[in-house]
Amino acid sequence: MRKKQTEGPSRREAIIDSLSLPKDILLGALRVTLTGSQEAWVENYKGILEYTECQILLQGKNCQVCFEGQRLSIEYYTNEDMKISGCIRCVRYQ
Amino acid sequence: MLRILQFLKGYVRMKIWGVSPERFLNLCSNKNLLLWDISKDGDAYIMCISLKAFLQLRPIARKTGVRVVVLQRYGLPFLLPGLLKRKIFVAGLVLCILFWMVSYSFVWDISLEGNYQITQEVFSDFLASQEIHVGMRKTELDIGALEKEIRRAFPEITWTSARLSGTRLEISVKENDAPVDTETEKPAGGQNLVSEYAGVITSMIVRNGVPMVKIGDIVEEGTLLVEGRVPIYNEDATVREYIYVAADADITVEHSITYQDSLPACYIQKVYTGRESARSFLRLGSRELKLPRERPYLVYDTVISGHTPLILEKLSVPISWGQYTYREYMNVEHAYTPEQAENLLAEKELQFLATLEEKGVHIIEKDVKIEGNSQCWTMEGWILVDQPTGRLTPIAGENVPAEGTE
Repeated sequence: MRKKQTEGPSRREAIIDSLSLPKDILLGALRVTLTGSQEAWVENYKGILEYTECQILLQGKNCQVCFEGQRLSIEYYTNEDMKISGCIRCVRYQ
Repeated sequence: MLRILQFLKGYVRMKIWGVSPERFLNLCSNKNLLLWDISKDGDAYIMCISLKAFLQLRPIARKTGVRVVVLQRYGLPFLLPGLLKRKIFVAGLVLCILFWMVSYSFVWDISLEGNYQITQEVFSDFLASQEIHVGMRKTELDIGALEKEIRRAFPEITWTSARLSGTRLEISVKENDAPVDTETEKPAGGQNLVSEYAGVITSMIVRNGVPMVKIGDIVEEGTLLVEGRVPIYNEDATVREYIYVAADADITVEHSITYQDSLPACYIQKVYTGRESARSFLRLGSRELKLPRERPYLVYDTVISGHTPLILEKLSVPISWGQYTYREYMNVEHAYTPEQAENLLAEKELQFLATLEEKGVHIIEKDVKIEGNSQCWTMEGWILVDQPTGRLTPIAGENVPAEGTE
């Protein structure tokens, strides 16, 4: 039973890979689009965990993503996507 | 566009702080309440939210323990109550909108482009005959019928397009670029080429006909240069028949032209006294409104300066205003100095020579003198030129056939 649980996602990923299906939709993976170091678009997140001028921590389905930088602000925030602007130094997955 | 919609719907800029502001943001997004321009200000967050969404915030704020304060209100819903108190302003605004809406249903300008042979006046007359004029309703205009009628009335127009651009009727035409067949009926029996000037033949290229002179010959005005009756010989050198053709040749004759020009000894110069007066006017289409006024000065000229606001010009609304400026002057008589007279006459002579050169006349030599007396300045002399010549005249005489050949 445990074996099935550990193998489950990898088999699913393999099927998705073989059929060339979009992972962000089927696996609910975070989708981050960066334009230079000034703008970032994020989709498929669950919510904001922490927001300061230097750090924005977002909760995804399987992981967390942290944007670090200076003068970070959220240009808009909806249920589906958000846009982060400011001086982004680092994008870190946890 | 998004900004306009936000303005129309109204939005507020608010500040939140409290126990769990991040949770407040997440709950807002879960309830599909759009937040934008979110920034951190110390321990608080500042963001924008639409007016409709703002009214749904109370349960979220209570649940997350967050306090909400409105910093600024933007948009029409907040402006309207203040506006409605200013009745005259609102009435003016409504009237203005009505004015634009009504004026948009009329044609306020007609433009024509692509015309070279057909003048603007001729086309204006045509449009007037079709009852198309500035100020007509757009609904009365049948573009298709107008295009058809333009092509029918002007055969030289090969293509036409009319379209309404805002309140402007734009008509584009294309005239036939091919040279119009102006071939006149050739008189039966052929034509001779005779000289127009008396002089010496300097060059001669004959394309059609029998040359009767050669280079270096001295000819008089009316001398036969090329004959249009071409003989066809038998083997024994006797003439079998004559073919009558229109003689064609490039012949130049060197001859002198007498040049004479004069200039009055004095001229009148306007000397402004410095006294000016102005009168404003308002022009509506072709009608002009101005205050009645007597003749301002005994001798004066008028400068008209008009102004059309850019918005009216863009909308082709024929309203403009400006002013007439009347400037008093005196006519003072001055005599030309010899240098002035010489310059002016030389300038006139240069214009005359340029006109000759435009006609293909080559100027070889000139001898012109200027003389002056108390009455006038005169310029007299001669110009030696090399000028193309040749005038077609019908062949007169015996047994000229009705057809081109005998």
